[in-house]
Amino acid sequence: MVISGDHAVAHAAKLARTEVVPSFPITPQTLIVEQLAEFINDGELDADFIPADSEHSVMSMAIGASAGGVRVFTATASQGLALMHEMLYAVPQNRLPIVMANVNRSLGAASGIWVEYNDSMAERDSGWLQVYVEDNQEALDATLMAFRMAEDRRVLLPVMVCLDGFILSHTVERVEVPEQQEVDLFLPPFVPFNMLDPYEPKLINPIVGPEYAMEMRYQLDRAVDHSREVINEVDEEFSKLFGRRYGGLLDTYRMEDAEFAMLTLGTATGLAREVVDDLREEGKRAGLIKLRFMRPFPFKELCEVCDSLKALGVFDRSASFNGGGPVYTEVAAALCNVPTVVTGHVAGIGGRDITTEHMRGMYDAVERASRGEEVRSVTWHGLRGDME
Amino acid sequence: MSEMQTIKDMPTNDMFISGHGACAGCGMAVAVKNIMRILGADTTVYVPASCLVVISAMYPTSNFRTPYLFTAFENTGAVTTGIRAAQRRRGLSSTVVGLAGDGGTFDIGLQALSGAAERNEDILYVCLDNEGYMNTGIQRSGATPFGAWTTTTPVGTNVEGKREFKKDLMAIIAAHDPPYAASLSIAHFNDFVKKVEKAKNKKGFRFLHVMTPCVPGWRSDPSMTVEIARLAVETGMWTLYELDEGSARTTYKPQTMLPVTDYLKLQGRFRHMENDDIAKLQEWLCAKWYMHYGNDIEQPVCAVFEKVKRVRHPHEEQLHFI
Amino acid sequence: MFEVRFHGRGGQGAVMAAQTLAEAAVIEGRHAQAFPYFGAERRGAPVMAFARIADRKISIKSQVYEPDLLVVLDESLLDIEPVARGLKPGGKAVINTRKLPTEIDLGMEVECATVPATSIAMEYLKAPIVNTAILGAVAMVCDLFSMGSMQQAIENRFGGKFGEAAARANAAAAAAAYSQTLRGRCKGNRPFVPRRVWLPDWRDIPIGNTLGEGVKDGVTVGPGGAKQNLTGSWRVQTPRYDKEKCVRCLRCWFSCPEGCIKREEDEYVRWDLNYCKGCGICAQVCPVKAIDMMKGGSR
Repeated sequence: MVISGDHAVAHAAKLARTEVVPSFPITPQTLIVEQLAEFINDGELDADFIPADSEHSVMSMAIGASAGGVRVFTATASQGLALMHEMLYAVPQNRLPIVMANVNRSLGAASGIWVEYNDSMAERDSGWLQVYVEDNQEALDATLMAFRMAEDRRVLLPVMVCLDGFILSHTVERVEVPEQQEVDLFLPPFVPFNMLDPYEPKLINPIVGPEYAMEMRYQLDRAVDHSREVINEVDEEFSKLFGRRYGGLLDTYRMEDAEFAMLTLGTATGLAREVVDDLREEGKRAGLIKLRFMRPFPFKELCEVCDSLKALGVFDRSASFNGGGPVYTEVAAALCNVPTVVTGHVAGIGGRDITTEHMRGMYDAVERASRGEEVRSVTWHGLRGDME
Repeated sequence: MSEMQTIKDMPTNDMFISGHGACAGCGMAVAVKNIMRILGADTTVYVPASCLVVISAMYPTSNFRTPYLFTAFENTGAVTTGIRAAQRRRGLSSTVVGLAGDGGTFDIGLQALSGAAERNEDILYVCLDNEGYMNTGIQRSGATPFGAWTTTTPVGTNVEGKREFKKDLMAIIAAHDPPYAASLSIAHFNDFVKKVEKAKNKKGFRFLHVMTPCVPGWRSDPSMTVEIARLAVETGMWTLYELDEGSARTTYKPQTMLPVTDYLKLQGRFRHMENDDIAKLQEWLCAKWYMHYGNDIEQPVCAVFEKVKRVRHPHEEQLHFI
Repeated sequence: MFEVRFHGRGGQGAVMAAQTLAEAAVIEGRHAQAFPYFGAERRGAPVMAFARIADRKISIKSQVYEPDLLVVLDESLLDIEPVARGLKPGGKAVINTRKLPTEIDLGMEVECATVPATSIAMEYLKAPIVNTAILGAVAMVCDLFSMGSMQQAIENRFGGKFGEAAARANAAAAAAAYSQTLRGRCKGNRPFVPRRVWLPDWRDIPIGNTLGEGVKDGVTVGPGGAKQNLTGSWRVQTPRYDKEKCVRCLRCWFSCPEGCIKREEDEYVRWDLNYCKGCGICAQVCPVKAIDMMKGGSR
């Protein structure tokens, strides 16, 4: 099929036999819930579509329905995600495996409807697992895998599938849509873990005092960490069934003998692949690390990949003001005991198009760093005017 | 199913059990205990942030013997919608009830409530109205009556107590045309039983509004909780009515309207009120009284107010609730 | 460092007492802090407040575990919790009671002062708010504060909030308590019975902040688990039922906020006093006066 990223996600939610879809429109996510409403009204998906009064209510309904014992999917973006913020935090601690697509869009003032990651990055400490996808096929596949990961008894955590607004959401590409029977083999019917069952009453989410909260939080910390293993297993199993492999927490491209590399996430990865190929043709030992999961963060895996790397540049599509971007600071923390020189590279803010020249500029800076040259710790690419 | 008509028909099985942490004399506890007796075991409870969650659901225990969920303040209409959707899909017919306070209903939860009412979700929404944010220590809400002291409407040298009248929540509910909505008093026992029973057995969006006097917030004597609720009805501060499939009616009419001072004097929150403010409140009550009960019988306490009999709601067809 | 722990009931003013004590210490030129036990306790429930006094700036912000001085605003608390836990062997206790110090049993033999703060408060304040009266007794037994600075502190804290007349009445209550305080040593016979708690390791906490019905380390948990909270200990008055007069209208059964009035097969009622908080609604709603309230928390 030739479909948009939003429609790819909607197909995945349908193939997952989602049972309840609370929804609220927001650009550039709306195509997802519109498509799901169509599937439901055409009888192609047996699910309850609930048109909510706000995103806050969407996540509240998702919590009620998930605690009520059914599979729940929803989608949002930007201000909608921010409005959900309060309710996002209720989901991981109650271990409700809700899957949600967040179509990345810049948040706050001096922003529009275009892509930036400052919406989902602001939620990285909520306890949700976060995966960022590169293309429409991965949008579909990652959404399907998200249900498996979320519902795994060792995980029981919500998963946020992040895709670039417009660049994926509204771009059509060739996408292999799996058959329902294949997906049914991959994703078994939903079995709730904790549930509001009148026949077996449970108390869910009472007020928790200081004498219990810390143990609960550590339990959640461990669950997020243990999800790393499940993510890799699910990736492996998915590749066996569908023939597509994504590498789990992170993927690498031409890293075998690389001396310098960029770490990217989202659609910038595709651009970086092209630039790496060019550099390799020029005889330069360039590589690429594709960060897929921001949570759980691949601390250990990154150290292994960067073992013999001289310099690594980290791409960010949002700023953590005066400290580069959030991915940069986390990567730098992960590699603090590795000799690799780490620099930050901010680009594509507010939906500004990232060109091959921008990406080439990032690689050039990292290459200079790999030769021992002094390079700015954080560079904004495509900015008018010299940096301070 | 034989319908419950009186206290005697009520089940004795408590679903909201003893051992909760409410203040002695808590009106909300009276309401919740009896609502849960009538709703019975096949009930799923959602409680938003409120006194109720704090007094009845501190890890690791709860006073509800039914399934129970809490998450946040403003989302009762939404979470109950989600629970009901899931239970319907799982073939469960349990009553999904949201037990919210007036802050969580009149103010911060109004949007989610309106959404659920407009979609005619098959849920029972109960507003336990103690006329303020009591859980956070007695602050003003849209439900706080005119003149009342709260910590955010203090009795100062320039301004004394709340200057606005209580929000007409039921008019907002009525605008959604729900299958059933009713106001209840813990002092009108049989009326209470009948309305909760009716709400339980109907389908679609049902709304119950219960006045629940609050001992520390109203600065009243713990033993007077039910008496204050009774006087609220006799003075017109609270009206018992129901909206059943579109037709509205009052379910109890006091013989003669008692002066509002009979109600005010039992509560420290009104102690500062001076004659001008009391008259203002009384006039407002008289207008409300005639709207509910008709103006063919002139109430002696209202005789001094020339205009009130002529006061009409902008939408004359519509019953004016509070 | 001198540490104080106050035990009272929600609504009695334990926090205000701790704050006033701290202010008195500051008036004496010392450093002090006061803070509540941060909970969500309701009126009538047992509560705690703390104060620290030192000659230099106090940096510690932890709770007080081993107080030098114990102040009990409500005598009935002695029977429901081990109020003297952690009290230093050389520490002191001040109790609001009509009893003699030698009649008090704190579970450890320490210097103890008693004062009838409730009747003093009723006389001077026309309300059973005992927090200022008991501070007069504290000034009597502690040489850290003079009665002058205690009264000054009371006037400062209460004057601003409730007006000058209230400040003077409260200071007078403290002065009366100062002169009516009895000193001696209490008994140490009562065994310390620690409250049963379930404090699992992180691995043993059921996943998802969710609990079904059950018992964990002797503690009932989950739906209905709150039945172990015997709120009858809050009670300061007790209903008395005259079955002869009862017309079986069940108004009391309906109106009891605690659900502690039980309905019998024959529609007469009985009370489960383990939960009765003594609010008196049952007596008030009874149409035939078959119920009246007696002073005291016992049966």
